Amino acid sequence: MIGTIARKEILANLLGYKFYVVVLLAAVLVGTSLFIMARDYRDRLDDYGLIRPKPGEPIAVNPPNPLAIFAKGLDESMARSFEVGPTGITVRAGQKSANAVFAFFPTPDFLYIVRVVLSLVALLFGFDQVSREREGGTLRLMLANPASRGAVLAGKWLGNFVSLAVPFMLVSALGIAVLSLDPAIRFSADQALRLALILSLTLVYIAFFLSLGILVSALTRRASSSLVILLFAWALLVFVLPNLGTLAARQLVDVPSVRALSEKRQQVWTREVLLRIRGEGDWPSHIKAISAENDALEADYRVKFDRLVALSKNINRVSPVASFVYAATEIAGTGIGEEGAFKREVVRYKDGLIDRTLASPGPGAADTPAFRYAYRPLGDVLASGALFDIAWLAAGGILFFALSYLAFIRYDVR
Amino acid sequence: MTDANPILKADDLSKRYEDGVLAVDHLNLSIYPGEVYCLLGANGAGKTTTINLFLNFIPPTTGTCFIKGIDVTRDPLEAKKHVAFVSENVMLYGNFTARQNLDFFAKLGGRTDLTKNDYSQVMRRVSLQEKAFDQRVKNFSKGMRQKLGISIAIIKDAPAILLDEPTSGLDPKAATEFLEIMAELKTEGKAILMSTHDIFRAKEIGDRVGIMKEGRLVMERTRQELQYEDLVKIYIDYMKSEPLAV
Repeated sequence: MIGTIARKEILANLLGYKFYVVVLLAAVLVGTSLFIMARDYRDRLDDYGLIRPKPGEPIAVNPPNPLAIFAKGLDESMARSFEVGPTGITVRAGQKSANAVFAFFPTPDFLYIVRVVLSLVALLFGFDQVSREREGGTLRLMLANPASRGAVLAGKWLGNFVSLAVPFMLVSALGIAVLSLDPAIRFSADQALRLALILSLTLVYIAFFLSLGILVSALTRRASSSLVILLFAWALLVFVLPNLGTLAARQLVDVPSVRALSEKRQQVWTREVLLRIRGEGDWPSHIKAISAENDALEADYRVKFDRLVALSKNINRVSPVASFVYAATEIAGTGIGEEGAFKREVVRYKDGLIDRTLASPGPGAADTPAFRYAYRPLGDVLASGALFDIAWLAAGGILFFALSYLAFIRYDVR
Repeated sequence: MTDANPILKADDLSKRYEDGVLAVDHLNLSIYPGEVYCLLGANGAGKTTTINLFLNFIPPTTGTCFIKGIDVTRDPLEAKKHVAFVSENVMLYGNFTARQNLDFFAKLGGRTDLTKNDYSQVMRRVSLQEKAFDQRVKNFSKGMRQKLGISIAIIKDAPAILLDEPTSGLDPKAATEFLEIMAELKTEGKAILMSTHDIFRAKEIGDRVGIMKEGRLVMERTRQELQYEDLVKIYIDYMKSEPLAV
C-alpha cells in the first residue's frame, strides 16, 4: 500500500511543473556553486604554491582542503600562514578567496545551497500533502479504501522524498564527476568517503524538512495556511535560531577581545626586554619566559573562547539546521573542532621550534622541520560531536513524522 | 430479500458533533444484496453524515455501522475492502489520465491483478469516450468525472456501494446513463446506498426509499408501496411538517 501511494506521489510530481522547476533549480545552483567554489579552490591552491615555506622556514601553512568546495567552513582560517618567531606566532593572510563578492554575500558553497534552498524546496514539497488532498476532495476517495492513514502518510513521505532526493543526488553526482575531471582537484579515498557521508547527511536534512512540511500540512485545513506557517518556521530555523546562540552565549561567557590579548603580549615583551637591558638574565631565558607567558595567555583565551564556542553551538542546536552545518563542516574537515585541533598543532609546532632553537642556538635553519597537519580521523570526528548532530537531525525528522501521524489520524477528512 | 444477511447495516446509529448538532439520530438501516436504498432529505438532514459514518471518516456517538458484518469502527480497513464510494463531485488527480486514476484507485482498493485491457473495459462499460481514456482528467466535464468515479467503484468489485448525491449537477442524459449503470450493478447483487435530492430518480431506481429529517429516518417505503403513493407529496409533507420533538 505504501508503495502504491509512493508511486502515485512520484507520478504526480513527474506530471507537475514543480518537479521540473526543482530539478532545474538544483542543477543551476549546484552547478554554479561547484563551478565558483572549484575556481576559488584552484586560486587558493595557486596561492599556496606561492606562500609554501621553503625548507627551513619556520612557517606553518596548510594546503586548502578540496572538500571546502562543498563545505567551506573555516578552511580559509586554517589555510592562513602562521609564522613562528622567537616570541610567538604571527598570522599572515595566507590563501584567501579572490572573489570579492564573498565578502558581501554568504559563500555559495554546496552546504549553503542545501541549507537554504533545499530546505525550502523540501517544505514546498511537503506543505500541501494533506491539506491539498482534502481541499481537492481526493483524500476522502483515498481513505474510502482499505489504506490506513499511516500507510497514506508514509507513502506520501516516501514518494516525495524520492522525488526530491533522486534528482538532487543525480545533479550532485554529475557535478562531482565534472569536478573530478579537473587535474587540480584530487580527492583521497578518505575525502571521497567524507564526501559520500556529507551527501548522505544532505538526505537526512531533506527528510527533516519534508517531515516538518507534512506535519504542518496535517495540522492545517488549507494549503495556503500551511505555506505561511512553514515560511515563518523556515526563516526561524534557517536564519534566526542558528545565530541566536552566538548572541546569547556572548552574554553568558566573558571572553577578552583579541586586542586586549595583543596588548598583554606586548606588555610581556616590553617587560622582558627591559629586564634584559637592565642586565637581568640572558636572552634565552627571557625568550623562554615570553613564549611561556604568551602560551599561558593564549591558553587562557582559548579556554574561554572554547567555552563560548561550545555554549553557542549547544544553543544553536535548538535549530537542527545548525547541527547539519556543524556535522557537515566537521566531516569535511573545515569545522570548528578541526580548526581548534589545527591551531593546537600550530602551537605545538612553535613550541617544538623554540625548544629546538634554545637547545642548539646558531644558524640551524636547515634543520627546521616542515609543518605537517594530519586531519583528525573520520572516526574521531564522528565521536567528537558530528554523530550527535546527525542523530539529532534524524531524531528531529522522525519526531516530526511521528507528530504528523498523530495529527493525521485525528484529521477531519471532510 | 430479508432472508439474506444485510451488506450495509446501521444499528441504532447516532452522531452528535462537537458543536452539539445531532446529525444522525438513532438510525436503523439494513441494505441487502441486489438492493438500492435511496435516502432523501433536505440539506443537513444527515444523509452525508450517514455515509461518512459508514466510511469511518467520523466516529459514531452511539451505535454501530456494519459492512458485510464487519464493525466499521473496530476494523475499518477490513470493512473498507467491501465498500466502494462515489461522491457528489468526484474529485480525482487532474494531472493524471483517466487510466492512471483508475489504476491508482484500483490498486488502493486491493485490485493489483488488473491489466490495461481491464481498465479499458470498465471505462467502456460506463460509456466514457474511448479518446478520454488517456486524457488528463483536469479537462473532463463533471459527467465524465462521475463516470470515471463509478468505474473506480466498479473496478473495486465491492459488494457495497455508497453514493453521495451522485447525480447532483449532471445533465438529464448523464444522470440517466448513471442510473442505468446503477441498475446493472444492482442486478449483479451489489447493495447500494444512495443519498439524493432527486425524488423522481429515487423512485425510479430505489427498491426502498427513506426520508431523513433532522437526523432521523422519518419514513421508509418499498418500490411496491410507492406504486400507490405519491412520493413527491410525501416528501414535501415531511419537509413542511413541524420540527421533530427532541
